[in-house]
This record gives sequence, C-alpha cells and structure tokens, in this order.
Amino acid sequence: MAAPIRILTAVPICDGHDSAINTINLEFIRHGIEVVYLGYHRPVGDIVRAAIQEDVRAIGISSYNGGHIEFFAEVVDLLRKKGADDIKVFGGGGGTITHDDAKMMRRKGVDEIFFAGTSLEGMVKFVHQRYGKPRAKRPKAKSADQELAHQLTEVEDSYAAEKKRSPLNGQRSTSKSEVRVIGFTGPGGAGKTTLIDELVLRFLNKDRQSRVAILSHDPSVIGEGALLGDRATMINSQNDRVFMRSMATRGQAGGLSPATHDCLALLARSGFDYVIIETVGTGQEAMPFQNNGIVDQTVLVMNPDYGSRLQLQKIVMLDLADIVVVNKSDLQRAKTAHTEIEQRLEQNRRSQRLVDTVAKRHRDPGVDRLFDLISTSGKSKVAKERRKK
Amino acid sequence: MSKLGQVVESVEKYNQFVVDQVKRARTDEKFGRDLLGRWNDIKAKIPTTRAPTGLSLPRLALPEIDEPGEIARFLFGEGLPGEFPYLNGAYREMYLEPIREVESLEKNGHAKDGKSAKKIAPAEEPTRLFSGLMLAEDTNERFHFLTAHQRTHRLSTAFDGPTLYGIDSDADGVFGKIGEGGVAIDTVEDMVRLYDGFDLGSSNFSASMTISGPAPIIMAMYIAAAKRRFGPSVVPKLRGTIQADIFKEVQAQNETIFPIEPSLRFLTDMVEFTTREMPRWYPISISGYHIGEAGSTPVQQAAYTLSNGFAYAEMFAARGIPVDQFGPRLSFFLDCGLDVEYIALARVSRRIWAIGMRDVFAAGPKAQLYKLHTQTSGRSLIAAEFKNNLTRTAAELMLAYMNATNSCHSNSADEPFTTPSEEWIRLAAHGQAILLEESGIFKHTMNMLSGSPGMKAVERAVEAAILDEFREIERLGGVLAAVEERYQRSQIQNAAHKYEQQIYDGTRSIIALNKYRNGSDDVPEVKLARTPRKKQQLQVDRLAKFKKKNAEKSKRALDKLAAVVESGKNCFPALLDAVELCSLGQITGRLQEVVGRFRPMV
Repeated sequence: MAAPIRILTAVPICDGHDSAINTINLEFIRHGIEVVYLGYHRPVGDIVRAAIQEDVRAIGISSYNGGHIEFFAEVVDLLRKKGADDIKVFGGGGGTITHDDAKMMRRKGVDEIFFAGTSLEGMVKFVHQRYGKPRAKRPKAKSADQELAHQLTEVEDSYAAEKKRSPLNGQRSTSKSEVRVIGFTGPGGAGKTTLIDELVLRFLNKDRQSRVAILSHDPSVIGEGALLGDRATMINSQNDRVFMRSMATRGQAGGLSPATHDCLALLARSGFDYVIIETVGTGQEAMPFQNNGIVDQTVLVMNPDYGSRLQLQKIVMLDLADIVVVNKSDLQRAKTAHTEIEQRLEQNRRSQRLVDTVAKRHRDPGVDRLFDLISTSGKSKVAKERRKK
Repeated sequence: MSKLGQVVESVEKYNQFVVDQVKRARTDEKFGRDLLGRWNDIKAKIPTTRAPTGLSLPRLALPEIDEPGEIARFLFGEGLPGEFPYLNGAYREMYLEPIREVESLEKNGHAKDGKSAKKIAPAEEPTRLFSGLMLAEDTNERFHFLTAHQRTHRLSTAFDGPTLYGIDSDADGVFGKIGEGGVAIDTVEDMVRLYDGFDLGSSNFSASMTISGPAPIIMAMYIAAAKRRFGPSVVPKLRGTIQADIFKEVQAQNETIFPIEPSLRFLTDMVEFTTREMPRWYPISISGYHIGEAGSTPVQQAAYTLSNGFAYAEMFAARGIPVDQFGPRLSFFLDCGLDVEYIALARVSRRIWAIGMRDVFAAGPKAQLYKLHTQTSGRSLIAAEFKNNLTRTAAELMLAYMNATNSCHSNSADEPFTTPSEEWIRLAAHGQAILLEESGIFKHTMNMLSGSPGMKAVERAVEAAILDEFREIERLGGVLAAVEERYQRSQIQNAAHKYEQQIYDGTRSIIALNKYRNGSDDVPEVKLARTPRKKQQLQVDRLAKFKKKNAEKSKRALDKLAAVVESGKNCFPALLDAVELCSLGQITGRLQEVVGRFRPMV
C-alpha cells in the first residue's frame, strides 16, 4: 500500500484568519491525507523549514490579509533556493485573491489558487490528483537536514509498503557519543508538547550551537489521514537549530508508528546533541519505550486530574519512567497529585524523580528544574540496563 | 462566586424589583398616585417638534399608558432615554435635530433669517468611518478626504498586519504586507505623519485606533507624537479610543503577542495611566465585533462582550483604580448583522451593563453607561452580485440606530474583496446621512421605533440567553479560566460551522448566493487598493534610518523598560520613554524576552 500523502498547511505571517484552514484541514484528514499544520501568523522561513524537515509533497497556504502575491512567491523562491522545489505550493484566500492575482501567482510558480466558492471536495480531489502520484527521483539533497528528511521519508514509505526495512547500514554517521535521547509520554492533554517546546527554548539558550531533534507523534484517524498539529503551538521549536519531524501512527497502537524505531535510530546518529521523542497521548497500559534500546531517559508527563488514587496503581509508566512530571501544577488538584504520585513512586524504590511544572508559564522554575535533570545527568540506569539486555 | 456570578444575581434581583414595583404601584395607592403624577410631569415637559411637512410630533415618544403598574414597568424596567437602566439609550437625546431650530420653526412655521436662529453648538455626527491604507501619509490624506465636510473630526484607524502583530516592516517575510489592510506604523515618526494637520487637543477631534496586542506601545507612540507636535500640555486633552481588548483576541481574532496574563498586566498599566492623566481617553473598546465576525451567534457576541467587560472591570478595580475613574472610560463595540436578535441586542446589553456596574461594582451614573460603537456586519456581505451589499448594510444601519448606538460605521459594499475604495466608502457614509438626516425616522423623535411588542419579545429572549451564557462561564471559574480552556473560542467556532452549514443546506438564505443566484461566481471587476512596492520600500528605508539614528540610545531605553517590567511596577511611563527611541518591533521583541510569547490555541 502506498504511504498517505503528506502536506503542510499554514496561514501567513500577520494573518490570524484560521477558520477556513481549520475546516479544510479536517476535510483533508477525513480523506486520507496527513496534514502537518503549522498554524497562523507564520513567516516564510518557518514554513519552508518545516516543509523540508517534514518532507511534505506540498504546502497549502490560506491567506486573507493581503500581500499574498509576495508571500506565495517568497515561499516558492525559498524552496527553490534550498533545493526543495519538489515541494509544491497551492492555496487560497476567499475573495481577497483576485483572478488577476492568481494568474500572476501561477506565473511565479504556485500550482493552484482556490477562489471563494470552491467546494471542499474539489480541494481534496486536487490534492489527491496532483500530489498523490509516486515521487519522481530526487536530486541529491542540498543540506544535511534535507538529506535526513528524505531518509526518514524512505523509512516511513517502506513501512507503509509493508516491506520492513533492514536497519539502515553503511550511511554517513556523524553520531556524537554524547547524544541524549529523551522519551516523553503521558495522557493526552497533559501538556507534553508545550513542555517540550519550553525545554527546547532552554536548550537553545544554553549555548549557541547544540542542535535538537524532535520526533513527534499524532494518531492517524479512520480513513488514514492525520492532523499533525504539534508545530502550531510549538513557538520556540521553529528554529534552524531544531529538526522536527511529525509522524502519524498509521494504525499502530501504543503511541508510536511502525517506523518510529528506525527513524529514531537514524536521528540518534545524525549529529544532534539531544533527540526528543514524543508519543501520542497514551493510556494506562502503554510502555512505548520498552525494549527500545535507544532512549536514554524517559519522562512521563501527568495531568493532575487522573481520577482516583487507585488509578495510579494501573499506570505502567509510573514504574518505568526516570522522571515523572506533574504539569499544570497551578491547578488546585496538583498538591494532592504530587503527594499521591510521590508515594506511588516510593513503592518502586528506584531513584525516580518527581517534578512539578507549569509549562504554560514563561520561565517556569519547575521547567528549569526538569531541564537540569535531562540536560546534565548521565545515561540513566534504566537505559543502561535496557541496553545490556 | 466571581463578579460575573454576582452580575447574574443582580440582574435577576433587579427584574424582581421591577415586578415588585409594578405590584406596589397597583396596591399602594400613594405610590401609584405619585408615579402617575411623575408620569404626567414627564409628558408635559416634552417639547413638540415639527417635521418639514408641517406635522407636529413630541420630541420624545412614550407608551400610551396611564395605569400606575404599567408606568412603573416602563420607568423602572426600561427607563427614559438617558435614565437607569438605560434600555432606551445612554443619553436623553440622540440623533435629533438641534432644539432651537425646531423652536424657531415652531413659532414661525419656517426658519427665520439667520440672525434670529441663534448659532448653537452642533451635535457630533455619529458617523465614524474606519480607514487605514499604505503609509501614514496616505492614510492621513484619506482622513482629510473623509472629514472634509464634517463638523467634528472623528478618525478611526486601521493598522496593517505587521503593526497589529507588533512587528516591524523590516521583519522577515512581511514586505508584501506593509500597508495592506491598514496603515503601516513602525515608529513615533510615522505616528506624527498619520494625524498631521489635525488638532489632536481640540474638543472637535478624536482618534480611534483599532489595535489590541501591542496597544500599550501604540498608545505610547500616539501620546509621544502628540507631545512632539503640541507640547506636553496636550496630554490631558487627548480624546479618542484604543481597542486594547485582549480577551476577544484570544477568543476570536488571534492577534495576541504576549501570553494572556502579561497582556492583561500591560493593559492595566495603560488603563491606570490614561484614566488618571488623560480623562477624555477611552483606553479600551470592549469588542464583540470580531467575535461576531468570527462566527458567533448574536447572543454569544453580546454575552462574551459583556462578560469580558465585567472581567476587565474586576481587574482594574483589583489594581486599585476607582470604579468611577475607569468606568466612564470603558466603551463597547458591537457587530450588527441581519439576524432577528439585532433588533434589541445592544439595548439589552446596555441594561445588563448598567445593572451590573451599579449593583456589583458600586459604580456611579457615569460609570454605568454602556457607550457603544456599532459596525455593520462584514461577514454578511458577499462578493456575488455585491451591490446587494448596499441593501444589507442599510438594513443593518437601521437596526443599529434602533438600538441607539452612540456611533456607527457602515461597511462599504466592496469589502468582500478589497480595502474599500473611495466610491463605495462615499456610498456607505451617505447611507448613514440618508437615514439620519434625510429620512425622518430618527431626527424628530426619540424612541420612534422603541418598544414594539416584537422588540419586547426579543429583549426578553435575548436577556435570558445572555444570562445563561454568564452562568456557564461562571461555572467554568470565570472569564479568564474559561478563556484558558478555550470555552468561548470553541463555542464561536461551533457557531461559525453551523452558520456555514445553514448556508450550504439552504436553511439560511443568502440572496444571490444560495437563492436567486444568476450563476456567475466571478469576483466583480473593481479597482483594488494595493500598496505599491515603492511605498513599501520607503517604509523599510525610513525605519532603517530611525534605527540607525537611535542605535545606541535605543539599547539603553530597552534595558530600562525590561527592568521596569521585571520589577512589576507600572511600565507605561517607561514605554512612553522607549517609543521616543525604539521601533514597535524592537519594543515587542524585548518585552517578549521578558514575559514570553503568546502560544496559539488550536
């Protein structure tokens, strides 16, 4: 089976009109398309960087605030400059883009402009027809990030085609011995994405050169599309020093995708200082990083609202995680949660750490503490034991 | 219970009070007699006016009642125009022809020569048209064009995208956005150009600025620009409005640049400063317009706007600003579309606000007024056969004035596809003039169209629905808590989706779109107002010059600003200093380093 079409959608900088694109995104994913959604008010640089890292087939831009001729053209030009003109550009803007504008935009390399009154079905059909064919052979990548993005696509596609890929061998390895791979998991809505984004800000401020990779997961829906929306709220992670890849679970339960392990292995030896992997929101029984062998440190992010105390006994990750975070610790319930989780961890008699955070708060001291724990400590015991096995 | 919960109780209590007064008027003979006496006095004092046709009319129309209970219901439940609870209007008279002209007509049947008709201070026209395009000097020119025949100069300023997001014209990827959809403002020098030729300290001048995320910075630039032109003594005389509505940005419009809490703190800093130093300035325009345009129902629009207003009042009071200092400086901004709720949406809002402010916040009369600017609905306008938009806007104008709005903007018919062009702006302005000055609907008699049985029915239904929304927000922990969990945002999006669905399935008729359409989907050929590249480059060059000139000093100013923000003190005075030397983007960037950036809610 062919891999789903991956596209990226965004609203240009200085434009907050996101209601059209929200509707269109949902229509796309209902029809088997994986949509990496970048959100509104996004500069050209962020859009092109994300498109290359995510290795999408096309970028869909919804523009309602004018300046579209320049903006679309800048996206096309920057893609060209980065050697990524295999990534196509289309979009729309209701009545704000005139037919004359659209003509000019097509001349400048935009594939298609949809006008007011275009049906959602029409857009879905366009994406399937125009971007659904297998990719033509691509020229050699122009940058290391682009090459990495192409390789990740190959891994994902080979899993989609159900020929399990042999481990990637004999490729250029720029692995640093000190790369740290940190796994984040926890229930949906606990604030994993916000927390990671705040940690990224601290990684970036720590020094001027270290690089971070993020492998983020979102569930595929029935019909095999997926809305990969983490980037839309990750305001700090849109940075040249961050390589982020969003993956859909493509039918696999447990919080990760069939291709995750190989993709993570690839990222772990691609020269990053930190590699962060985020699962989808998981259930009580999930242990997504077990027998993984690559993850050095695991973080379980909890919401203070987990239900009764008894529920804690059922959460497997509370036995396995190196660090447990109670996020949203500004909520009334958080103090009780901290006490109960602390007791639960004591039963394990391991040196698991418990940290309270308010990820949504700028410069939160709890997040600072978590950052110290993951950026400075050595390989965790759990990971070492795992590796021995 | 938050203040919002108390507002619900106060309205319920007030309604019960009205019922009790009606009963008392019918059972307590003296009370009833006094009421009747008062009623007859009121009626006797109403002057008579005469239409150009010669028809005599009372200047204020009242219901034809003479039973004490009904009189009580009207006087306590609705109030005369300008009297609590202000259902019929915030002021005693609005839109009417000046009284002395009327008197002279009265005496002689026609206006005498100019000598005897004494010169009187003309009332302000309620027309306020929104404008902003290209660079400051271009918008300035448009302002002069718009006010050429106006007695009072009431400017309403639209800013371009980069300005609304607090970034500079030289930022990555914004070049094509410079001057699009509004005016480009980067520095205090642009602000000087923007209002050039207008007397900012005059009582005939007021400026409205539609901007929220970076509002405190833009406000500081406006003050700095005024000082450059007229000296420091102009500051207490400045009149105008800045939108500065953070809640509605997060709920609907997505133009937020700092996280919610620091955004609210900067706002409160500004309000504390302006309500003390600039007693004629409105430092916040609590706006339902964008909530309505984002797709809310009319009731949601009114309910979220009011509850946001009460939340701001709670915040300002908590800062220690006296309610009678900030209360009179709050103003409101509503959308007016074609749905039936609009027959009374603003009337009901005015009443709830007055009761809540009086009974929960202990506000005096001036702080009870829900002073309203209305704009006709942009969302109701469509591109297909766009000249129909004139009719839509005319009907909406009628509704807006039936609600006794204090000022109004009428949209141009060409808005669905472009920044309005002069031809259509002129028609939109004339629409208001025809309604208010040419037609006799509003100029002879107050309450001309108030109080029909249908309007009363809408009032009751809308008030009940608004109070239900308040209860839900209260249940979620108040406005801020509800905002943080995206309650209003989700409700608005859901309503927007339903609206589109109704257009699609035909349960909502949009003429020439899903009914009586002629089949052509083409955007009509109109002349588009686009900003030429040369102008955009000029703006970037000016900014570069400004930055170069202040390179050294701006760093120190930003450091000082950052230190004040860290200290938790009111940072508005430091902003006033910073804008002399720093651009909008420089200030925003530095503030974001200290307080963080807004994380979008998706």
